[in-house]
Amino acid sequence: MLLGLRRRWERVPRALQIVLPRLALLVPQMFGVLFVTFFLIRLLPGDPAVLLLGNMATPDAVAQLRDRLGLNDSVWVQFLTYCGNVLHGDLGISIFTSNPVTVDLLERAPATLELIAYAMVLTVIIGVTVAVASVVRPGGAVDMGARVYGLAAGAIPDFWIGLILIYVFFTMLGWSAAPFGRIDAMMSAPPYVTGFYTVDALLAGDVAALTSAAGRLVLPVLTIAIVNAGALMKMTQSIFAGAWRSDFVRHARACGVPERVIIRAAMCNSLPPIITMIGFLVGFLLGAAVLVETIFSWGGLGQYAVQAVMNSDYPALQGFVLVAAAFILVVYLVVDILYELADPRIKV
Amino acid sequence: MKLPPALRRPAAVIGLTLLALQIVMIVFAPAISPYSPVDADPVASLQPPSAAHWFGTDITGMDVFSRVVYATRINLLISVVSVAGAFVIGVPLGLLIGYYRGAASSFAMRLFDFIQAFPIFVLGMALVAVMGQEIWNVAIVLAILFIPIFARLIRAEVLSLRERPFVAAARCSGASDRHIMFRHLLPNALLPAMVQVSISIGMAILLTAGLSFIGAGVRMPTPEWGLMVSTGAQQMILGVWWVSLFPGLAIVVAVLCFALLGDVMRDLLDPTRRPAPARAKRQPANTGQTP
Amino acid sequence: MMRETAGTPVLRIDGLTLVAETAEGERVLLDGLDLRLMPNEILGIVGETGAGKSLLARAMIDLLPSGVRRDRGEVLIEGRVLSQMTPAERRALRGGVVSLIGTNAKALLDPVERVGAQLVRVLRSHKRLPRHAAWAQAVQLLADVGIVNPEERAKAYPHELSGGMAQRVVIAMALIAEPKIVLADDATLGLDATVSVQVLDMLVERSRRMGCSVVLITHDLGIVAHYCNRVAVMRGGRIEEMAPTADFIAAPREPYSRALLDAAKARPVPSVRGVGAAGAPLLAIENLVKIFPGSRPGEQVRAVDGVSFTVRRGETLALVGESGSGKTTIGQCLVRLLQATSGRILFDGEDVTHWPENRFRTLRRQIQMVFQEPYVALNPRWRVRQLVDEPLAMLETLSAAERLKRVHEVLALVDLSTRTAELFPHELTAGEQKRVGIARALATRPDFVIFDEPTTALDIRVRAQIIDLVRDLQNRMQLSALFITHDLNSVRSLAHDVAVMNRGRIVEAGAMDEVFARPKDPYTRKLLSAELAIEQAAPPLGDRMQGVLP
Repeated sequence: MLLGLRRRWERVPRALQIVLPRLALLVPQMFGVLFVTFFLIRLLPGDPAVLLLGNMATPDAVAQLRDRLGLNDSVWVQFLTYCGNVLHGDLGISIFTSNPVTVDLLERAPATLELIAYAMVLTVIIGVTVAVASVVRPGGAVDMGARVYGLAAGAIPDFWIGLILIYVFFTMLGWSAAPFGRIDAMMSAPPYVTGFYTVDALLAGDVAALTSAAGRLVLPVLTIAIVNAGALMKMTQSIFAGAWRSDFVRHARACGVPERVIIRAAMCNSLPPIITMIGFLVGFLLGAAVLVETIFSWGGLGQYAVQAVMNSDYPALQGFVLVAAAFILVVYLVVDILYELADPRIKV
Repeated sequence: MKLPPALRRPAAVIGLTLLALQIVMIVFAPAISPYSPVDADPVASLQPPSAAHWFGTDITGMDVFSRVVYATRINLLISVVSVAGAFVIGVPLGLLIGYYRGAASSFAMRLFDFIQAFPIFVLGMALVAVMGQEIWNVAIVLAILFIPIFARLIRAEVLSLRERPFVAAARCSGASDRHIMFRHLLPNALLPAMVQVSISIGMAILLTAGLSFIGAGVRMPTPEWGLMVSTGAQQMILGVWWVSLFPGLAIVVAVLCFALLGDVMRDLLDPTRRPAPARAKRQPANTGQTP
Repeated sequence: MMRETAGTPVLRIDGLTLVAETAEGERVLLDGLDLRLMPNEILGIVGETGAGKSLLARAMIDLLPSGVRRDRGEVLIEGRVLSQMTPAERRALRGGVVSLIGTNAKALLDPVERVGAQLVRVLRSHKRLPRHAAWAQAVQLLADVGIVNPEERAKAYPHELSGGMAQRVVIAMALIAEPKIVLADDATLGLDATVSVQVLDMLVERSRRMGCSVVLITHDLGIVAHYCNRVAVMRGGRIEEMAPTADFIAAPREPYSRALLDAAKARPVPSVRGVGAAGAPLLAIENLVKIFPGSRPGEQVRAVDGVSFTVRRGETLALVGESGSGKTTIGQCLVRLLQATSGRILFDGEDVTHWPENRFRTLRRQIQMVFQEPYVALNPRWRVRQLVDEPLAMLETLSAAERLKRVHEVLALVDLSTRTAELFPHELTAGEQKRVGIARALATRPDFVIFDEPTTALDIRVRAQIIDLVRDLQNRMQLSALFITHDLNSVRSLAHDVAVMNRGRIVEAGAMDEVFARPKDPYTRKLLSAELAIEQAAPPLGDRMQGVLP
């Protein structure tokens, strides 16, 4: 019986053999995340119902919420109730905006995703090219520049460099768009398709909106990329240098294989760990987005989270943390799958 | 005595100089700063840098230079304490879960997975918001966030070290588990962790400042770099650059200092930079003969 | 023989001097070296670690390690001066005219690329031809280098190949662009002897057929004796002696070459059997089985499969076999680094198989093991004094002063000076590291010592010294020993009895001279025939192969 199952499993394509177990693992992981967000609120002294409703709540409302959260039940029943609510998409009501947290988050998610997506692309382009160039030509100008940049980038606070960029490019030089939101206040957002203003404007053929949205993206994306590309570059450098020094590269050179082919081969070998790095980077970018959105009044998830912290808006905070962790878990999942697909040595 | 080459490199010299500078600022803050770091002077609000106020004044008229100097105390205190806490808890934990592989150690690893599934800044922000915005809470939260980093690092080292033949050789010499863990594994695993300590202090400085910047860290009027950057953020766009610039530079200098020291430590520990052992070409192991 | 050395050399090196630039100034690595390689010639270059053999090979294709530069002299290939070529010409030369085969083939192959594609990559770097034609040629060559089922194997990734197969693929990579010169730098180091002989036979045969010259760089004089027309002995960046192989084996001119040759020959036979020869066995293994879980769930690997043998006091048993035969697993079961799956281990008449760990610890004083790789078996952060002291501190009840005295005694026993005691392992040479490993094992004055591959990866003369040392210890301490090795030459010098292992079983056992002189099992015969002993130097293969030449 078991043997038969195994034999059938071995006939499943390798890609599926990698993906399916990983997907199954996502369930307990999500459960763990729910556990953490649930107890996050229980850490607070005082009545969770009062905390979740805010100080202005009427005793009736408190009693009602206590009932709904099952606060009179044991903590495990409460946890199950919480999980049930989350599964139904109910993350509670925001104290500050009075909207359901789910609605608030969905509304703001595209702004953050657009920011992160562009920042990610720029970060990877800068990080990987500089790393490869510095390894292939050690001691060259790129290598020297990369060394200084690698050290400095890790030391620069993103919120500070954002402010400096605003001061230099907006206040002093007047080159860049104002750091207030995703699009010119005079303009209306392009019709909603993907939620990415640049993409939606392009789809609608609205050149003015596209220019404005793209212009607004420049500084925040640059801020995030400058800070994070340094870390990616350093890690890529050490991984790629490892491959570059390895015996098989020396051997390929001794066989007369041209340098550009060797670089490509070394890159293919460095790919799996670099993919993992990029996955971790998403987590960092999400953290950076919280700070950078605040500076540029971006109106995304990050700014929402900061408002939640400042207003003690616990349902909103809880909801944000949950969504952020879920997002990261999905990213890690994708990264793990790509990793295993990129490396034939990994046994299924 | 001749300094090892790793300490004579420019990176090491700069790193150690910056460290000395910060220690001076911490110890002699009262003597160095011309004004009180917390006294507001509404008359002298938002003055640009001058002979009287080297770094200018902020909106409440507090002297930016004095506050930058005093903030070294708070920022380094939080960072060093949190990393020390994470080190003291994370290292033994990593040693145990690396050496004894069982249900408990895989449970610990899953727990770390959950903690690390959260973006570090987001979780830090939420924890501090929930626990209350106190200096010690920031330090505790950072320590909690860093424990998995140290535990995982040590565990990974121990996992690879315990397969090394010298551990088997020690066992043949009658060494007990405790002897192997503390005399053989720990000293070899500890040194990579020391590099991580330096890097983590830098990370802690950035996180502390970031938390304060969004209002989830220490509160006014405590002199803290991130908080100072945030008080200047509103006026930056109006051309008042000095309130945010100088505390930001202080952060850069502090983090750079620990990053450089981390690099120096890595050089000191890297066995390939030590005198190479004269030995025969190592024979590649396990080349099977079965076709 | 003379026929081959006639004509113009394909490769000529004139006064080549290489220097390394270090912080302390320049260090000369190759010192005014002259060399001629004739068409169709097989030249052997032998020497010990640090002689500059590998560097010479890399100088021939102008791929020097960073920090090393050519100071004087030239390398001429087919009459063209290497240093005057353009970078593009040099690239075309590498692999196209001169190709290099390195050590540890598995590391030389790109781990994430199919081996066929790697061959295609090399071929298309030298010849313009469509991908499918290149692929067909690659598959054909894989068949020629003796890979069965080449169409399928061309699609394999390197990690799916055995060491021997990977080496064949690397050889195919070296031959695919039809070079004039093949450099083999310790190409079969680390392969089992039987595989090594097959691979070398194939390499020499293919090179002959293609009409290219071969440079065999090795530390194994047996390989030189069996395959090369001429031999060059290197030492300290110079060529000490260059002679036709037969002349060299018969009578080396230089004292250094003579020392090398002597060291490479088998040492005298072991001591007479010990006093306890008639008594009860000190160690007896009965039907030992060790099963490991396989790579798939439910799969089992029987690493040791019903092995029995005995060792009497003062005697040495050699367990010989190739990698994967299970011999090291037996050693690890004996010192309880592994727990046997079934079977019995009797020490001094007592069944110790299932003794609990704390009781077994008392026995560790009497059973010790010398580990295979000398450097990695020593904690890099401990001084030699601490390393040798560890078993004493753990197993003996002695005062610190007594222990220190014992440490110095044992160091003297293995011919290490007192000065060594304060050094760290990485400050020692390989031979010294090996001696420290032996000293550790002898510190508690054990009755029984397991030597795991004591002569592997050592230079010729160091290996001879270690063999002499172990034989000396056998005599002086009346040691009983289990000797795990694949080096048949050392078995001749050290063991009274021998047991030949293959795939977890003992296929033949008996007195050493009896088994070696009249092997009964086909596997034993195969092992013995793969031994390239200098004493039985066959006529150089170059002559044997004359018939192959067009």
